[in-house]
Amino acid sequence: MRTIPDENQIVLDDVSKFYGEVLGINRVSLAIPAGITSLVGPNGSGKTTLMNLMTGLLQPSQGQVWVLGLSPSRPEKLFPKLGYCTQFDSFPKGLTGRQLLCSQLRLHGWGRPEAAARAQKTLERVGLTEAADRRVAGYSKGMRQRIKLALAICHDPSVLVLDEPLNGLDPLARAEMLALFREMAARGIHLLISSHILHEVDLISDRVILINNGFVVAEGDIREVRDEMQEHPRQILVRCNKPGLLAARIFEENQGIEVRIHDDHRGLLVKTRCADQFYLMMNRAVLETGLDVEFIAPADDDVNSVYGYLIGADGGRP
Amino acid sequence: MDPVIQLDHLSVNFGTRPILKRLTAELSGRAIGLLGPNGAGKTTLIHTLLGFHPSVEGTARICGMDIRRNAKQVRTLIGYMPENDSFIARMTAVRFLRLMAELSGLPPREAMERAHEALFYVGLGEARYRELGTYSQGMKQLAKLAQAIVHGPRILFLDEPTNGLDPPARQRLLRLIREIRDGGQVHLILSSHLLHDVEECCEEVLILKEGQIRVYCNLEEERRANRKFLELETAGDNNGSFLSALEQAGCQCAVNGSRRIKMVLPQSVEIRDIYHLAADRQIQIRRLHHKRDSLEDIFLKAMEENHGRL
Amino acid sequence: MAVYKHSYQRYGGELTAIWSRFLILPRYAFQEVFRSKFLIALLVGSYVCPVVYALIIYLHHNLTALRILNTNPAFLVAIDKHFFYMFLQIQAGVGFLLSALVGPGLISPDLANNALPLYLSRPFSRVEYVLGKMSVLIILLSAITWVPGLLLLLLQSNLEGGSWFVSNLRIAGALCLGSWIWILFLSLFSLTLSAWVKWRFVAGALLFGLLSFVEGMGAAINNIFDTNAGYLINLSEVMRTVWSSLFALQGNGRIALDDAWRSLLAFCVICLLMLSRKVKAYEVVK
Repeated sequence: MRTIPDENQIVLDDVSKFYGEVLGINRVSLAIPAGITSLVGPNGSGKTTLMNLMTGLLQPSQGQVWVLGLSPSRPEKLFPKLGYCTQFDSFPKGLTGRQLLCSQLRLHGWGRPEAAARAQKTLERVGLTEAADRRVAGYSKGMRQRIKLALAICHDPSVLVLDEPLNGLDPLARAEMLALFREMAARGIHLLISSHILHEVDLISDRVILINNGFVVAEGDIREVRDEMQEHPRQILVRCNKPGLLAARIFEENQGIEVRIHDDHRGLLVKTRCADQFYLMMNRAVLETGLDVEFIAPADDDVNSVYGYLIGADGGRP
Repeated sequence: MDPVIQLDHLSVNFGTRPILKRLTAELSGRAIGLLGPNGAGKTTLIHTLLGFHPSVEGTARICGMDIRRNAKQVRTLIGYMPENDSFIARMTAVRFLRLMAELSGLPPREAMERAHEALFYVGLGEARYRELGTYSQGMKQLAKLAQAIVHGPRILFLDEPTNGLDPPARQRLLRLIREIRDGGQVHLILSSHLLHDVEECCEEVLILKEGQIRVYCNLEEERRANRKFLELETAGDNNGSFLSALEQAGCQCAVNGSRRIKMVLPQSVEIRDIYHLAADRQIQIRRLHHKRDSLEDIFLKAMEENHGRL
Repeated sequence: MAVYKHSYQRYGGELTAIWSRFLILPRYAFQEVFRSKFLIALLVGSYVCPVVYALIIYLHHNLTALRILNTNPAFLVAIDKHFFYMFLQIQAGVGFLLSALVGPGLISPDLANNALPLYLSRPFSRVEYVLGKMSVLIILLSAITWVPGLLLLLLQSNLEGGSWFVSNLRIAGALCLGSWIWILFLSLFSLTLSAWVKWRFVAGALLFGLLSFVEGMGAAINNIFDTNAGYLINLSEVMRTVWSSLFALQGNGRIALDDAWRSLLAFCVICLLMLSRKVKAYEVVK
């Protein structure tokens, strides 16, 4: 069934991509709204294929792709609105960073003075003003990453597709770029970011797409995804001075199906079917038994754990 | 503990450009994280200790031996896992490791034994007869780690070891690194941009900026300080009554996002009291921890200061 | 009963002698090199000439064989410095082919995927690395030049009588020195090509191509400037001048001997400089 393309979303409608016999992605249907959507999965799972399909570098073997209502098979309409930062590093020789940006902007149709102004603004945003007039061939890894980002954002796109954008950046730069992405998301831009660093994904994403072996394994807000996974009870980590006592209490009140006490006897890991009830029980337990709680937190509420459950350690190629 | 690495006004220039400026420190931890922005000199420091660059002034000692005068002995004690891809495509993993082990001085028979052992240890056991050129990115990283440990060095330099690895492979590698560290026979120097990796594996951190040491501190000690700062995440507090109750009790609170509360506990208030307040209002305390300086805070502070502390 | 846990162990045993470590490289290289059947065939083929020479020497001293062949010893090639000079030239040519086959695969695989830092982060220096790689070619080329040459000389002196060797010591010296000069230059040159050119086949082809190209340039220089100086970059001319002087033969006088030596030295120095540019643990990017 052909759906009317939504102008506010990136839509994939039953898309498959095969390279001859080799599978890229298989029957993927997605609707990506504005904000930061992270794409997570092992190497070889189809992330780059998905990104290439969205940016029109590949045509699907089957199915349809719509980016903000436009089709990637009409690049002249789509590319002014799209920025793509790939994971591969190659640049035309002999150009400086500034020249590269200016030529890209002129390709998008801006005149020379405007292009220069925009290039300067973009260089400031990515933090490359010092090295802007040096040859790109002499850039360090971090600088090359920044110029790639600059090329992707210089024309103010509405859609940004970023393949491992923080690779090689030092902690400061990572924090700056993450803040930049959040700022862009707040302005209504669609960002699709692929990353292996799951705690960063947790930090900034509104939604997550987990992909493995060419299939989408789960997608949506990470908390909702976790809630749907009923077959994995919630795990909660508690560090306190009397773990045995707490364990007994948990079993007495039937608030846990499994409790494991840490080796140092100062904490425990609880598996429970209903986290809400457990927390309310904790309040009573602390007051009635004189327990000293030092630390309490959900142990598997994040992308890392969901990844482990759904894709596992054997995901992807050996 | 005897210092493993002693830097003595170590200075290195590239041509006329100073990269490392009179570095002085004594490093003795089991696992030391090496951090710093791009261009701070982390890789140059490692390369200088390996003897790839001569120092223009000052020197360094590894396990008591001067890196200039006893360069070869020093290198016998070091294992190096470089950041970039490093392999010989047409060699099998076993052959490659044998070559590396023999070049480090092991007799051929021992080299053969340790090559197999190292490959099994890092998890490449099944693939060890395959050519390195056929390996995936994760396997190449493991092969690099294997060649760094095959000759049983006392010091391991790991430069961005989790580069390019997907989450399960990253976790496996970090677990391996922790195992190696916990074995107690080797000192690790881990250089990485991922503060998370360093936090998981290292006890001490050395932060460089612009060729100088900004911070050298012990993470455990940093974590033990600051017990009065608390961070809470709650659920069920729809009308803010919990928050106001906390403030009435004397805690200074700051709300971060929709459900997170950062607070300072005054002397009179204990965690039990907070639970009392929560129980009264049927509030769930989903997350509670003492907010100590995380590595990120330490790093950011180090970058801001104009005069480093040592 | 025990449960054995596999964990990281430091190595506390003996280490091999430091001076002999560079020989590890030829040991590993030869295992690779001898996998090629073509190379083995070429190596066997390179012994055809020494065997023929040995036959000739034998024939010189074996009356029965001569009677069978019905010839006069005077008709056979005389066994003198010309004899051995020819031997050297033939084997040097074969050596050139061998280098083109073996040389390119020595350094380029290490550079292709940045394996050099792994070598140099061990108690192993750049000099040892180059020496080790050169040894592969030195050993191979020695095995087809001065080693069989000396054996032939010994055969001759054995058949002829002890004093022959002593009175023809000069030939032995010329053979050895001439071989070594050729071996050293050829090893340096192929290693340099291997370090600078990524593809083995191209490096091998360049070994021939560059020398022909340079010869052509030399000829052009001669024509344009009407001198003989162009011969200084013509490797075969240079080698022939040097060799003929070693064998005390009349050269063709195109280049002075001193100039030939200087030219060779310059070739070698250039190769060494180029090698040292590539054989480095770490590239500094400006």
